Amino acid sequence: MTLKELYETIGGDYEQALRVLRMDKLVDKHIRKYVKNGVVEKLVDAGNRMDPNEMFECAHAVKGISGNLGLRELSEMASEIAEEFRAGNVRRMSDEEVAKKLSDIDARFRTTADGIRAYEAG
Amino acid sequence: MDPEDKKRRGKDTGMIQSKQIEGPKLVLVVDDHEINRDALGVILEDAYHIIYAENGKEALDQVYRHAEELSIILLDLNMPVMSGFEVMERLKKDEQLKDIPIIVLTADKSAELKALQMGAADFITKPFDIPEVILARVSGLLERSEGRKLISAAEHDWLTGLYTRNFFFEYANRLFHYHPELHLDAIVLDIEKFHTINAVNGREFGNTVLREIGGEIRAFLSETEGIACRIEADRFNIYCSRQPDYHTLLDRLQRKVSMLSLKASIHLRMGVMLWNQDIEPILMFDRARAACNMVRGVYQNPLMVYDDEMHQRELLNQRLLNDLNNATKEFQLKVYYQPKYDVQSDPPRLKSAEALIRWVHPELGMISPGDFIPLFEGNGLISIVDSFVWNEAARQVSRWKKKYNFLLPVSVNLSRADVFDPTLVDRLVKLIEENNLSFKDIKLEVTESAYTDKAQDLLNIVKRLRDLGFEIEMDDFGSGYSSLNMLSDMPIDVLKMDMKFIRNIEQSETDMHLVRLILDIAKYLRLMVVAEGVETEGQLNLLKDAGCDLVQGFYFSRPIPPEEFEKLIEKDMAIGG
Repeated sequence: MTLKELYETIGGDYEQALRVLRMDKLVDKHIRKYVKNGVVEKLVDAGNRMDPNEMFECAHAVKGISGNLGLRELSEMASEIAEEFRAGNVRRMSDEEVAKKLSDIDARFRTTADGIRAYEAG
Repeated sequence: MDPEDKKRRGKDTGMIQSKQIEGPKLVLVVDDHEINRDALGVILEDAYHIIYAENGKEALDQVYRHAEELSIILLDLNMPVMSGFEVMERLKKDEQLKDIPIIVLTADKSAELKALQMGAADFITKPFDIPEVILARVSGLLERSEGRKLISAAEHDWLTGLYTRNFFFEYANRLFHYHPELHLDAIVLDIEKFHTINAVNGREFGNTVLREIGGEIRAFLSETEGIACRIEADRFNIYCSRQPDYHTLLDRLQRKVSMLSLKASIHLRMGVMLWNQDIEPILMFDRARAACNMVRGVYQNPLMVYDDEMHQRELLNQRLLNDLNNATKEFQLKVYYQPKYDVQSDPPRLKSAEALIRWVHPELGMISPGDFIPLFEGNGLISIVDSFVWNEAARQVSRWKKKYNFLLPVSVNLSRADVFDPTLVDRLVKLIEENNLSFKDIKLEVTESAYTDKAQDLLNIVKRLRDLGFEIEMDDFGSGYSSLNMLSDMPIDVLKMDMKFIRNIEQSETDMHLVRLILDIAKYLRLMVVAEGVETEGQLNLLKDAGCDLVQGFYFSRPIPPEEFEKLIEKDMAIGG
């Protein structure tokens, strides 16, 4: 599987990733790291504990990293959580809704991670 | 100024440091996520040297390590261990580091304001923009901050290493406000006729002179508290703690420039305004400069300390300059007349008069011409005063002619400013015609110093006036430096011997010899002589015996208004003849 094919599989924007990272090699490096860096897991974990600060920081990180890699959907989903828990912002979602969003993120991340692992396996 | 600060400044040569010749600039990228560091790295690595940090603490380590070379920091805000905000806070507190420009990397708009308030210069949003935008942001900010460095490079004058004007006054103001205990004096140093030194010896030599002075001032300041700048071409400002005697400083600087060349004689002059807790540096230096200008050309004693008398004088001058316009309109200016008597006849006969200006100020009263003539001569306003006198005198002569049928020529002053007025001849001709006078009725006095200064133009004009029929009198003869051989070439009819020759002729044999000598020369050149300032009968008799033609002075009369003068005319007419 080529990188491009991977992006088609996981529904990412390869062109965007290439715009940011400029070369295949770096996209390759970071898409592999994306599975292992644990930011999404940390976000889900913070969500389970309902720790607003950590949720903000993790969501923020997920948003940035996913965005840079052209994983637009995950980036946008993380952004919603970040805004929800940004210090000073008024909460708009119920805890249940947040939990639902987080579980959506988790699910989306898992399919993405599966795709990436398949890519890694060659 | 604290000694460390001074040491640092002393090291600074003031030369512009060109980063261009030092290779690529150093950029610090701070982000806890490798993907962000990499993403920025690949964008920037072609144009810059890049170092990285994973959190705030590492970032500070890098900044301290590379403080000198670091051109810019790209800083993430949300990081473990130490946040970007904390990094900024630390950097902004450090004088050395606070000016390193920072671009904040952020995914959320709301952090931008806070970052901006903390001193961030720009933003790069995450997920990262297209690379061209990031490159443009970085290079744009670098250009702007280099621009700042250029401005700060001009903190020092390239030639002397002293401060430049704006920085000097900025620092002087700070010293004045934050260190009132220092009691700093303001000193202005100027070079006499620097343009001539440049013209004769070349610009390079002129620059050497300035450099040497700058060097010596810096040496002086290393021994005392103070700062200095080259304020313009050949003028220096020094703001320093009180010296026991400013002659010592002036002598020191003078010695330095005197050693430069045996041929070129360079003279420095100095004005000092002593510390005053109520007067800001800019005003202090204005006054020091005024004091310095007072000793322009005074080579024997080229140092002047501004005092209250000078201050009052300046206030008065300003007032007089403002009031002159009204003075002419409201006839505050009056023309007085002082008679000149032919002392070779017995009794002495009234021959002519000199028209002299008086200013009767509505609030200040009678102002002596000695107080305002030099002032107006200095800025050309003297022409206004002169024409006023010419018109008044011409009208008066015309009135007396009608009233008494009496030939009484009146002399008026011609200033340098008048002589260089291209319409002068026309104006004077018109004056004569309008008042139905002949050219013999008005005599023109030109002061001796005007002849010696820059002769040819003036000689040409005076010659034209003389050819028209005006009699020309050389005023203040002997007060300046006329050379006797010039005298024979000058278009003049009358010598007015300066009153300083007359003052002591009764006591001093030498002075009397000098007067006789002048009278002999005048006779040889067929010039009439008027002795000015004659006050006693003794002086009068000595002059009369020596063959002096005319005498003017308090012995006969002080300058008086025309109504009073008429009594002198009537008295003389009564003698008959």
